[in-house]
Amino acid sequence: MSDRPQVEPPLLEMSGVGKDYRGVAALKDINFDLRRGEVHSILGENGAGKSTLVKILSGAVMPSRGEIRLEGQQIHIAGPAFARRYGIAMVYQETSLVSTMTVAQNLYLGDEKFFNRLRGIYIEAQQFLQSLNFPVDPTALVVSLGTAKRQMVEIARAVRLKAQIIIFDEPTATLTPEEKHHLFALIRRLRQEGVSIVFISHALEEALEISDRITILRDGSHVVTDEAKTFSRETIIRHMVGRSLTDDLYGRAADSRKLRPAGEKVLSVQNLSMQNFVRNSSFSVFAGQVTGVFGLVGSGRTETARIIAGVAKRDFFHGGDVRFDNKSVRYRTPRAAVGDGVVYVTEDRKGDGFFETMSIADNIYIGRISSRHSQGLVASMSETRALAAEWTRKLNIRALSSDSRVIELSGGNQQKVLIAKALVQKPRLIIFDEPTRGVDVGAIAEIHHLISALADAGLAVVVISSYLPEILTLSDRILVSRQGRIVEELSPNDATSESIMFAAVY
Amino acid sequence: MTALGTALDRWLGRGEASITTPPMDGAFRPNDLLDAAASALQAPAPDDLAVTALGLVVSSGCSLLRVNATGGAPVASFDAEIGALAGLPDGGAAVALVDGRIVFVGGRYDGKTIAARADVQCITVLAAAADGALLVANGSAAHGSADWKRDLMEKGASGSVWRLEPTSGAWTQAAAKLAYPNGLLEDGDSIVVCESWRCALTRISRGAVGRGARVLEDLPAYPSRLSRDADGAVWLALFAPRSQLVEFVLSEDRYRRRMLDEIDSDYWVAPCLRSGRSPLEPTQQGGVKQLGVMKPWSPSRSYGLVARLDGAFRPTASFHSRTNGRRHGVTSCLTSEGRLYFTAKGDGLVGAYAYKGSMA
Repeated sequence: MSDRPQVEPPLLEMSGVGKDYRGVAALKDINFDLRRGEVHSILGENGAGKSTLVKILSGAVMPSRGEIRLEGQQIHIAGPAFARRYGIAMVYQETSLVSTMTVAQNLYLGDEKFFNRLRGIYIEAQQFLQSLNFPVDPTALVVSLGTAKRQMVEIARAVRLKAQIIIFDEPTATLTPEEKHHLFALIRRLRQEGVSIVFISHALEEALEISDRITILRDGSHVVTDEAKTFSRETIIRHMVGRSLTDDLYGRAADSRKLRPAGEKVLSVQNLSMQNFVRNSSFSVFAGQVTGVFGLVGSGRTETARIIAGVAKRDFFHGGDVRFDNKSVRYRTPRAAVGDGVVYVTEDRKGDGFFETMSIADNIYIGRISSRHSQGLVASMSETRALAAEWTRKLNIRALSSDSRVIELSGGNQQKVLIAKALVQKPRLIIFDEPTRGVDVGAIAEIHHLISALADAGLAVVVISSYLPEILTLSDRILVSRQGRIVEELSPNDATSESIMFAAVY
Repeated sequence: MTALGTALDRWLGRGEASITTPPMDGAFRPNDLLDAAASALQAPAPDDLAVTALGLVVSSGCSLLRVNATGGAPVASFDAEIGALAGLPDGGAAVALVDGRIVFVGGRYDGKTIAARADVQCITVLAAAADGALLVANGSAAHGSADWKRDLMEKGASGSVWRLEPTSGAWTQAAAKLAYPNGLLEDGDSIVVCESWRCALTRISRGAVGRGARVLEDLPAYPSRLSRDADGAVWLALFAPRSQLVEFVLSEDRYRRRMLDEIDSDYWVAPCLRSGRSPLEPTQQGGVKQLGVMKPWSPSRSYGLVARLDGAFRPTASFHSRTNGRRHGVTSCLTSEGRLYFTAKGDGLVGAYAYKGSMA
């Protein structure tokens, strides 16, 4: 929390800004101001209008009405190049870097001289990255970098462009706690240097920690703007959803739940190994239960799930055994796993989950035609529409129509499309990997209800999550993964955050 | 292609041929409940339990002892070790000796002895059938019950199940080619048999000799005797844990043959009822204490485990004596008067655990 003196007038002011899509208001006459050297969080559910608002600021979307003033002067942000000229830069949730180019090339992209000396660029980039204290090799290809380092490059690019306003859209969704700590330190440093930060996050604690002021949007309308210290987690949620989600979400005491009894053993993973990622890991999954898998990043949870689902391959020698329905299986492709009813819902929805430029309906139908329930070789338009209508209604996917492209949806609705795509495959075992990452609290509650309903319906459900309250709330049994193997099994009735974390660390 | 794939898998040790053991999780989640149980009786190598008119009795060497009577004389003593024991509906007991004879103690057949059959010399279980017959499991046609480790290491599957009419002494074979039947339970018209070396429970229907359907398989330990309680739940004793090391040795024929020929059976790489008492044993039970928690780094060859199964033979709960526990080698268990009794043969003890109805 900052105690910096307030600077008037605001650096940026948006008055009566609205945006309509085909006559439907996505943003309704928003008033928003940003002071120099402040961190201003914008919070809201999926579809609340946060992304539209910052897209207007970054020049990606033109407003339908309203005016924007920068340092008192009215400006017209006609495109991303204009935004950059006004000193507004955006760090996207999923980075917008060119993955086949080096870090330095990305830093100077769009700003190249007529004759470029690559060595000079690398030296300059190295010095610049060092000045920001970013441990990134400028000669490394972006494709070889992890998410955290990609985000550093993205931030470095914004700083290099001498941005006076930097917009962070879900910057922490894919970061480890340590990386998050570094990011927050950087944001504070930028703030001290007078840079204004717009911060969008679904993690409310983060917003409360880093922000000077918070603006909350709901259904495209402005609800409240106030100093961050006046908010609590509960008041933020109430403003965001217009109702209390305490009972729906993590406030519910795990010990008040009745745990589901185990049904048939559906999956038995025995001594599974994959290089250093999965080491002799063994566990079982039962029908009619949610099996929660907790572990720190790098504990081999995702790799194990990917081997089971045929996405990754176990070691050629002594790779262990996976028994599905008491039958040894080794899926070479996800399609083979889907054919048996084993479905994996990826943590990287944009990379592996769907075709983002295709429509909701097409994406759901793709899930259908890759399943064993698909009939015939010709795509059926009527079935596509029927499926889209059915699953949009069932999962409450908020979109203008089922023809909307997935890229236009908010994170929560994208996740719902991904889940719909998995459920049309009629799985018997469904593995959710970080099902609520980058999803707002309202959608989290809906996704949690859905996961519980699947287990109630007799499906074997696995939920991999790094978020302890989610594991404690959803699971009927908790498995803890550490250094590539399952090291502990706990009952949610006995487990505490501390005991789970203890097992995950020691 | 499938045959080729299977052969390739076998050569590479992949798929079905991979050396793996099932995890102890779900209903088999480890705890220390067997170690928390009270000691009802200490006796050398207590093996099998039965409820008779005299109360709960246990076989120990050549003697039959009462469990809840301290310091008393044995109920009966024999000239050979007892291999199996069954309580009969009339309050008597049927006792199988390791030489194959079956002796009745108490009840209407008191004092009667049925002579051993030449091909039934390894009686591991006796159970009373609803029609008055006696169900008899012969663990192996090749070895006696004291030589069970050799039968496992030779991958024996010569066990059989018989029906014996106590009145006439007539034997009828109900099933054959079983991998060491070590537990029996009549279940309606069929018999459920524990096949120890297949780590599975097999249902044998009347009249279907040699063919059985699995009701439970892929157990994490070698199963032993079965009993049913008043609630209809089934209790299963498991006498030793499976380990990748033993599974590996079982897959290495030449190594195994040499081990059988040259090494004392106490030091084989094989499961046992109690391990860790000699430095000559294969590496086992190693562990390191980390932040107050014992973390094993080497598997143990012995363990204590009792599982509770529902009416459909699905595991619902389990009781453990872990690697560092003192209730290893559980060969039988049954419930009586709200208590679970078990024989920890490896540690010479009959334990009693008070449980409250359903453990689920």
